Amino acid sequence: MSTATSMTTSASSRTYVEARDVATAVAAMSAGARPIAGGTDLVVGARHGKAPLPAALVGIHRIPGLADVAPTDGGGLRLGALVTHATLMADPTVLASYPGLADASAIVGSHATRANGTLGGNVMNSSPAMDTGAPLLCHGGVAVLVGPAGERRVALADLWTGPGRSTAAPDELLVAVELDAPPADGASGSSYVRLQYRRQMEIAIVGAGAVVTLGADGTVTGAKVAITALAPVIHRVAEAEAALVGTDGGFEAAKAAGAAAAAAARPISDVRGSADYRRAMAAVITRRAVLTAVRRARGESVPVPASDTTFGS
Amino acid sequence: MSVIDTPAQGSSTPERPRAFLRPDGKEKVTGLGRYTADLTFTGQLHAAFRYADHPHARIVSIDTSRAKALPGVFAVVTHEDVPDVRYGGMTQDRRLFAKEKVLWEGDVVAGVAARTVEIAREAAALVEVEYEVLSAQPDYVANMAPDAPVLHEGWAEYGADENLVRDGNVMSRYVIAKGDADAAMAGADVVVKSHYVSDASQGVPIEPRALVAQWTGDSVTVWSSTQVPFAARSGVAHTLQIPESKVRIVVPLLGGGFGSKCDFHFEAHVAILAKVTRRPVRLVFTRKEEFVAPDHRREGMDIELETGVTRDGRIVARRGRMVLDKGAYTGEGGFFAQMAAMHACGPYKLDTVRVEAFLNYSTNQPAASIRAPTAPQACWALEQHLDEVAAAIGMDPVELRRRTLVAEGDEGPAGQVFEKIGAKETLEAALELIGYDAYLRGELPDDEAVGVACGWWPCFGVPSGAYVKLNGDGTATIVTGAQENGSGSVMGLPILAAEILGMSPSDFSINYQDTDAGPWDMGSSGSQTTFNNGRAVVEAAQEVRAKLLAMGAEKLEADVADLELADGAVRVKGAPETSVTIADLAGTGEPILGKGSGEVPEAAASDASACVGSLGMESFLAPQLITHAARVKVDRDTGVVRVLDFAAAHDSGVIVNKVGADGQVYGGVMMGIGQALTEATWTDEEGRQKNPGLLDYKLQTASDGPRIQIRWIEIETPNAGPKGSKGVGEPPSVPTSGAVGNAIAKVIGRHVDKLPMTAERVWLAANSPAGEDQ
Amino acid sequence: MAVDITLSVNGVPYPLTVDPHASLLHTVRGDVGLTGSKEGCDDSECGACMMLVDGRPVNSCSYLAVQADGSDVTTVEGLSDGETLAPLQEAFLTRGGVQCGFCTPGMLVSATALLDRSPNPSEDEIRTAVSGNLCRCTGYDGIVKAIAAVAAERAAQG
Ligand SMILES: Cc1cc2nc3c(=O)[nH]c(=O)nc-3n(C[C@H](O)[C@H](O)[C@H](O)COP(=O)(O)OP(=O)(O)OC[C@H]3O[C@@H](n4cnc5c(N)ncnc54)[C@H](O)[C@@H]3O)c2cc1C
Ligand code: FES
Ligand code: FES
Repeated sequence: MSTATSMTTSASSRTYVEARDVATAVAAMSAGARPIAGGTDLVVGARHGKAPLPAALVGIHRIPGLADVAPTDGGGLRLGALVTHATLMADPTVLASYPGLADASAIVGSHATRANGTLGGNVMNSSPAMDTGAPLLCHGGVAVLVGPAGERRVALADLWTGPGRSTAAPDELLVAVELDAPPADGASGSSYVRLQYRRQMEIAIVGAGAVVTLGADGTVTGAKVAITALAPVIHRVAEAEAALVGTDGGFEAAKAAGAAAAAAARPISDVRGSADYRRAMAAVITRRAVLTAVRRARGESVPVPASDTTFGS
Repeated sequence: MSVIDTPAQGSSTPERPRAFLRPDGKEKVTGLGRYTADLTFTGQLHAAFRYADHPHARIVSIDTSRAKALPGVFAVVTHEDVPDVRYGGMTQDRRLFAKEKVLWEGDVVAGVAARTVEIAREAAALVEVEYEVLSAQPDYVANMAPDAPVLHEGWAEYGADENLVRDGNVMSRYVIAKGDADAAMAGADVVVKSHYVSDASQGVPIEPRALVAQWTGDSVTVWSSTQVPFAARSGVAHTLQIPESKVRIVVPLLGGGFGSKCDFHFEAHVAILAKVTRRPVRLVFTRKEEFVAPDHRREGMDIELETGVTRDGRIVARRGRMVLDKGAYTGEGGFFAQMAAMHACGPYKLDTVRVEAFLNYSTNQPAASIRAPTAPQACWALEQHLDEVAAAIGMDPVELRRRTLVAEGDEGPAGQVFEKIGAKETLEAALELIGYDAYLRGELPDDEAVGVACGWWPCFGVPSGAYVKLNGDGTATIVTGAQENGSGSVMGLPILAAEILGMSPSDFSINYQDTDAGPWDMGSSGSQTTFNNGRAVVEAAQEVRAKLLAMGAEKLEADVADLELADGAVRVKGAPETSVTIADLAGTGEPILGKGSGEVPEAAASDASACVGSLGMESFLAPQLITHAARVKVDRDTGVVRVLDFAAAHDSGVIVNKVGADGQVYGGVMMGIGQALTEATWTDEEGRQKNPGLLDYKLQTASDGPRIQIRWIEIETPNAGPKGSKGVGEPPSVPTSGAVGNAIAKVIGRHVDKLPMTAERVWLAANSPAGEDQ
Repeated sequence: MAVDITLSVNGVPYPLTVDPHASLLHTVRGDVGLTGSKEGCDDSECGACMMLVDGRPVNSCSYLAVQADGSDVTTVEGLSDGETLAPLQEAFLTRGGVQCGFCTPGMLVSATALLDRSPNPSEDEIRTAVSGNLCRCTGYDGIVKAIAAVAAERAAQG
């Protein structure tokens, strides 16, 4: 272990402003400042030596109106960028119609991480291991970005391009993520499950989210499956979804979806697990996520977080 | 013999009143207590180290000029700035600053003192070191091959304990032998062989180490988060070549140690920086440094065991070969080969034994005492092996232990005859607490099982001292050399003195952790504080008692034999109104002072004549016996294991401080579960740590914790500590991984042969075809 | 460029000038001079530095002091007047929740945040809440019992 070369910028070049509205934040970002919300990624990343803290920072944590959870005109849900994980895991609408998102937020870090870490920070950090990504994708998440030229909307699938990389410009502020309305016809359920060695304070080694819709006869009429920490970006797995539609959503169908997820995975080996293990776990975790979503679609209660309740299943 | 239970979480049993609150409690819960890193000194500078840039390299040259030129830097020191002496416990094999070679990634090449931490680190990076890079040799087993390059080329010239059998990269070779194990093995009904490998793990106190050094004239005071202030003092004196009287070590509140803050190490580095700069110098480790830089981790171990049994479960022979990773330097771990071999024998009746253990150098982080060094891994291997033996003869593993555990009158592996011990009682108690019968009746789901493991750990009888002095108002002060690591062992000393003096524990203050105040003590290691320092305090209190009684006799005109000490007074037995208070006696101005050291008990006789490299540990003094039972649930598809319920039954003799003793078990078991399942130092192919942080070095969190039930088998142990007590600090992590491992094996049908038994390893074992090695 | 902020720490306002990158932990330990909050890792993994910021539990080692400008910050020193202990402090002492004490300040703050949010938590809720606070000494047993006991006492008092 030799001493790393200095990771710090010189103190005199550092600046900080606090924005109390979106326009101020965007102006500061246009001038080169990096937004900071809960800081649980940005500051912690710097402490880890991942990247030094940017010299210019703009605090966005107290911008009014960005911490709301509200219905959209289309019957979906609009989640302000500053909504915290603590809010998401306890919000009645999220628990009722988007439980997979609650599954994810409920297992982020510790209660301090959840009290400060925001949805916007989670999304904009663009980590392939972040937990809300898979359920957001499955629920049709769209990022609402505001830049100097105004507002634009980008599907999350088109936002993330690699670890820490996105198609958002450095001067675009995420103000909200909007989710699809739950399907009008038929019952639906969602879930997110991750492989975890400890029950708290984990980083996803493998994760999977699912949204399943059932017809009146219990047949799967719609399925969305996304996998986490198994590729440079969190992404949906069309083959897994296809393996579910038209089935009864039972164990065999879920297993087939799991196999498809494993086939689609491009895992790496590191201290947290070998690529072989991760691939095998992709099948197991996806299967559990699908089965949980199906159970919820059938009206069964599966407590949040599903990672705990599906242990050993 | 009596038994005390500790009700588990949620139990309705009312708790016993807690009469005694630790004296350091209030400052700890209010945040007003000072730990070393909380101290600041006017004019202080901050230190940083330049560590080795390669795990193994020859140093060609060191150029500090650029580092020294950085504004804000006050000093850069290397081996050239300190006396050219080697140090180390049983082998003097290292220097403060690397000179000819670096031998692991944490070797210190240079130290910097600067105005800020940031400048100090920047300067450390500016030190230019030219190396001739050598191949890293992290494979401690391969290092004993005859053609392996010798890491310490000058090993034969090093000062070393003459009892050590050394040879190149083998820092110590030990053989424990009794009878003809080869012949007995050949005659056994069934022979079982196993091979287990344990990775290294860490102590991980939550307080990273911190030090501040300040000179006044030619004396230095070092405030240090050490478990062993007196060892630190002699280390500073030796390496800087100054008398011990010029070195004072003070330990503010200590934020945990678990062995990892044992041994002298960084005190002299900081002292020399303070000397050169003529300023106080402060060093606080980052968490990463706390993982990588200390010469303290739990050793990796490669363990082969072979047991011959009769069909009815008598062990006729035990053979073993163990290789331990010592890492780059000896430190205080020179005895590990012998200790490991004792744990490959375990507290069992063995007709014959031959276990050979090697403690080998490598270019890894040095291993040294971490809570019960060598025992958890060796015990994990032995206890899993015993379950395999039981399976081979078709016997329930618990029944095999019932038949083979030692009891009073039985012989240890080198002929030690045991006095009263509660090994079998701990077994039965743990079975009862965990509900073993229900498990045998098949009442658990098929992904759950109960595993059982037994273990032992010796007491260490070493000299230790204390003073007890009375204050004028009838309160008292205990002045001790003992070190409190958080366990409460020093905090419990007033209980012992109070009883002898008829006072209340809250009447005592404690002056401790200051080498200029208390008498020499080994420090907080080897679970020895109550055992040894307790005896010293008892003796010191007895002296005070005698003085008080004599003074009281004069005052009351009574015979000493008719007097007692109670309620803070000397009084006539049967006539308590005829009394004089301790305050009255102590307030006269005549000093009332007692000193004690206690007699050091010796281990029972044993026969080491067939042993090689003996350090005299074939006989365990006042052995502590432990049985742990774990109920686990295994997620077969992922390999993730949760421990649901845990029973710990301990014979630690008489329990002096119940809250403190329970606390050691709760903490030790959780540490043991971590080491069983999630805690390992992972390294790259050159031995560099890959997970020196708390996100990937995974301690158990509160939400992972099982219900833990404790039972103390209280035996008034002959030849032991005060009141027949033994140590309590280290045993709680000894058989934990064995119990967890045996439970896992019952669910998945085979033993996981690597420690920790990570999810991936459990999954691999569960999913590899029977009979095939993982 | 240093920034002027005001931190209200345990009810006392401190006007300070800080480096924008300074952590709340270093600012409170260094500039404010309250060393009860500990540094065990510096990257949010141990919880020894936990403080309440406007009632939220925060790992202050990884939180910028500038972000807490104008906020109410509570540290372990603010949980009681130092003389009469708060019920949680008392319970930690009587139930074996304190050994070396290094995790204790963060643990107490964490438990305070839990009981403020959920006055009558289950054992599992308690264990989950303090999972970001690592303790190497106690095995968490005394800590969990202490928090449960305080919750039960409060429930009994209505
Ligand atoms: C101990 C610990 C455990 C964790 N565990 C998990 C876990 O289990 N799962 C998980 O997913 N994450 C985890 N995290 C990561 C982190 O907590 C989450 O990603 C959190 O949601 C980040 O939110 P934040 O507000 O703190 O982000 P910040 O750190 O403030 O910001 C993160 C990034 O996003 C940018 N950003 C923030 N908000 C916006 C915005 N509105 N518009 C544009 N850019 C923005 C920032 O510039 C920065 O680059 C953990 C972190 C810690 C410290
Ligand atoms: S010091 Fe802040 S979490 Fe460890
Ligand atoms: S009491 Fe020591 S870390 Fe918790």
